[in-house]
Amino acid sequence: MLFLSSRRILTFSWQHFWRNIWLSLVTITIIVLTLFSLTTLILVNAIADYAVNSVKDTVDVSLYFDNAISEEAIKTLKQELDKIEELKEVQYITPEEALEQFKETHKDDADIQSALAELDKNPLGGTLVLSAHAIEQYPAVMEKLKELKADSLAEKIDYNDHQKLIERINNFTAKLRTFVLALSLVFILVAILTVFNTIRMGIYIHRTEIGIMRLVGASNWFIRLPFVIEGLLYAVFGCLVFWLVLAIALHFTGDWVNSFLAGINFDIRAYLNKNVLNILGFEFIIVAVINMISAAFAMGKHLKV
Amino acid sequence: MIELRNVSKTYPNGTEAVKRVTVHIKPGEFVSLVGRSGTGKTTLVKMLVAEEKPTEGRIILGGWDITRIRTADIPMLRRQIGVVFQDFKLLPRKTVYENVAFALEVAGYGKKHIKDVVPQILALVGLEPKAKEFPDELSGGQQQRVSIARALAHRPKILIADEPTGNLDSINTREIVDLLLKINSFKTTVMLVTHNREVVNSLRKRVIAMEDGKIAYDEEKGRYVL
Ligand SMILES: Nc1ncnc2c1ncn2[C@@H]1O[C@H](COP(=O)(O)OP(=O)(O)OP(=O)(O)O)[C@@H](O)[C@H]1O
Ligand SMILES: [Mg+2]
Repeated sequence: MLFLSSRRILTFSWQHFWRNIWLSLVTITIIVLTLFSLTTLILVNAIADYAVNSVKDTVDVSLYFDNAISEEAIKTLKQELDKIEELKEVQYITPEEALEQFKETHKDDADIQSALAELDKNPLGGTLVLSAHAIEQYPAVMEKLKELKADSLAEKIDYNDHQKLIERINNFTAKLRTFVLALSLVFILVAILTVFNTIRMGIYIHRTEIGIMRLVGASNWFIRLPFVIEGLLYAVFGCLVFWLVLAIALHFTGDWVNSFLAGINFDIRAYLNKNVLNILGFEFIIVAVINMISAAFAMGKHLKV
Repeated sequence: MIELRNVSKTYPNGTEAVKRVTVHIKPGEFVSLVGRSGTGKTTLVKMLVAEEKPTEGRIILGGWDITRIRTADIPMLRRQIGVVFQDFKLLPRKTVYENVAFALEVAGYGKKHIKDVVPQILALVGLEPKAKEFPDELSGGQQQRVSIARALAHRPKILIADEPTGNLDSINTREIVDLLLKINSFKTTVMLVTHNREVVNSLRKRVIAMEDGKIAYDEEKGRYVL
């Protein structure tokens, strides 16, 4: 009996959906726009995080030593530095390696190459490159370097925290994020009102039928459930349509979109492929909740026995 | 079967539609409820099917006190009382068969049960040949018979007809009244609310007359004298 009822309720929901097809299409369109906005918000967050993280990964502190300082002295210091727990890695670069690196970086610069060729002795000293576990730990690391008097031993300490760049990325994405979030909230509000209105219309269209259902003893949930499921149908169709359109659009324009993000190596298709289930699930839950809450409100007064 | 004890109904706007009515209707009885317009007949019917709650007094149907019935129990009550109205309240896009089956579908009955029961009821009201037609292809009397068939779908012990012949000519009226009598002959308690003097006088059954929300008289084999 429960099985039969659920089939009949589904049939009713489907009828509600079709008899009101234009409003149903409008409702689905609004839900698709809401999903577009939500997905943009998710992508902006993902791209911003990705960009900031890839910048953060390149942050390190380099200690350059005069070539008069012996390898022994540098290695002793390295042993001290290895004990600093904030540090993930302390890398020793020998003067020879440093020179190789230098040659490699400037291999296209003829002036530098010829200048180097004239040298009979390596002008570079050893280098220690320190990387911390997290970017927040660098100020503490700098403190400890002072305590260890490393700053007097080294000829030069180069701490490039890319603070300016990170700040610029954060500032830009924060504004974008606020804008897209506000847009999403507006769309969510519009979606709530649209679903509310659609279900209200549905109840109005079916008022005779509802009256008769009551008259002949249909239970309350039998009358109400079709409207709740109608709301769910909008959520399901909205998600299907949006992701279908998104997949098709990215199939044709993905390379073009990625070209904007080339600087940070972010591949939008790969990201979406990897996270599609999470994002879709999250979005479906949001849209389903919007729909069911609106349906509940729309029924509130009108469907009391 | 139907017991009203000191029942009063005052609508929220202050209208006192029913005033301290006490009635007892036995199982299998046929009762006509008569009275001028606005004397509270429909209000009484609405209280019997829990569409309105009495302000005072108690209502007991077949031993079930429905005075303070819970919302969740109302569908059960409505499956035990069939009601028909002057405007047949049929679904225009459903056939005769489907209109009757609808009452069983929304109550969760299976296809097989519906296939067994609906033709029987249509035969009872004499509409079997019209099963596939739509309401607007039928006469008023036939439409009212569909509405009665639907009210009987749950095999209720009580059938209430609130001015079922209000929209019908005298031939169709006679047919509907005969049908109600036939249903009554199968031990269903029937309450007929009507303005029709001729019908009431020809029935020679119990008559309850209302005047200004109160019972004016209540007589076995009564007549419509107001
Ligand atoms: N929902 C309501 N709210 C307020 N007053 C109402 C309501 N329904 C009915 N009334 C009033 O209650 C009184 C009784 O109405 P009711 O419909 O019971 O009369 P009735 O005997 O069925 O009349 P009729 O023969 O015309 O159908 C009338 O004065 C009517 O205006
Ligand atoms: Mg009335």
